Amino acid sequence: DYQELVRKVTMYLDNELSEAEAYLKVLSQEKSFREFIKSKLHRRKPSPALIKSIKDKIKT
Amino acid sequence: MMVMTQENLTSKERFDKIFEVEFLPQIDALYTFAYHLTYNEDDANDLVQETYLKAYRFIEKYIEGTNAKAWLFKILKNAFINQYRKKSKAPTKVDYEEIINFHDEENDTNYSTHTDLREEMFQSMMGDEVTNAINALPVDFRVVILLCDIEGFTYEEISKIIDVPIGTVRSRLHRARNMLKGQLKTYAESLGFKDKRSKD
Repeated sequence: DYQELVRKVTMYLDNELSEAEAYLKVLSQEKSFREFIKSKLHRRKPSPALIKSIKDKIKT
Repeated sequence: MMVMTQENLTSKERFDKIFEVEFLPQIDALYTFAYHLTYNEDDANDLVQETYLKAYRFIEKYIEGTNAKAWLFKILKNAFINQYRKKSKAPTKVDYEEIINFHDEENDTNYSTHTDLREEMFQSMMGDEVTNAINALPVDFRVVILLCDIEGFTYEEISKIIDVPIGTVRSRLHRARNMLKGQLKTYAESLGFKDKRSKD
């Protein structure tokens, strides 16, 4: 109890390993988990009313 | 009455330019972050507005051409944490405006359609297990996941935004992802993602 490998793979996927950069299975699973999470975290757009309100408050 | 000198005018023009060119383009990312922190459009709007007003108030502390995005995210994160602490300490309050609006709406013939629609949206939101799982993470863990996985900030940038050492960022991310995995395992499998991880 793998945890050390997951930690390294995680840092690799975050581009945080120094040039440090069955194991292949762990890498592909961590990658697909990451993509799964990202696919669910949708980007959202602020309303034009919010942008206008901010600009108005900055002006006055 | 304050007399605008040439010097004042110049710095105001410079600040307005920084605001337009460097700060406003970050609004989509800030709104996305605020929404995923609060899961409430009104709260997200308030947070983003507060962030921009604070950023403008302290704009002279910002060094032009540096990392505006990280600077704004830090302001938003602090505003959220302050609100979060206030809310968790304050007793549950009933908003006067909400009561007034409620009674006004009660006389509205479209009221039942309106609540049905809201109920439908609520159900659809509750059905999203990932949203629930992320929302269930302790706030410190939720913040690092959002900063890393949605915004792609580096560990170093995250450490500056949330004021903790890089090692803490790393361990929070690791723990946050493990918590999410635990909560989402069943859901992911039901969607065809299989957990074939082996520790042998």
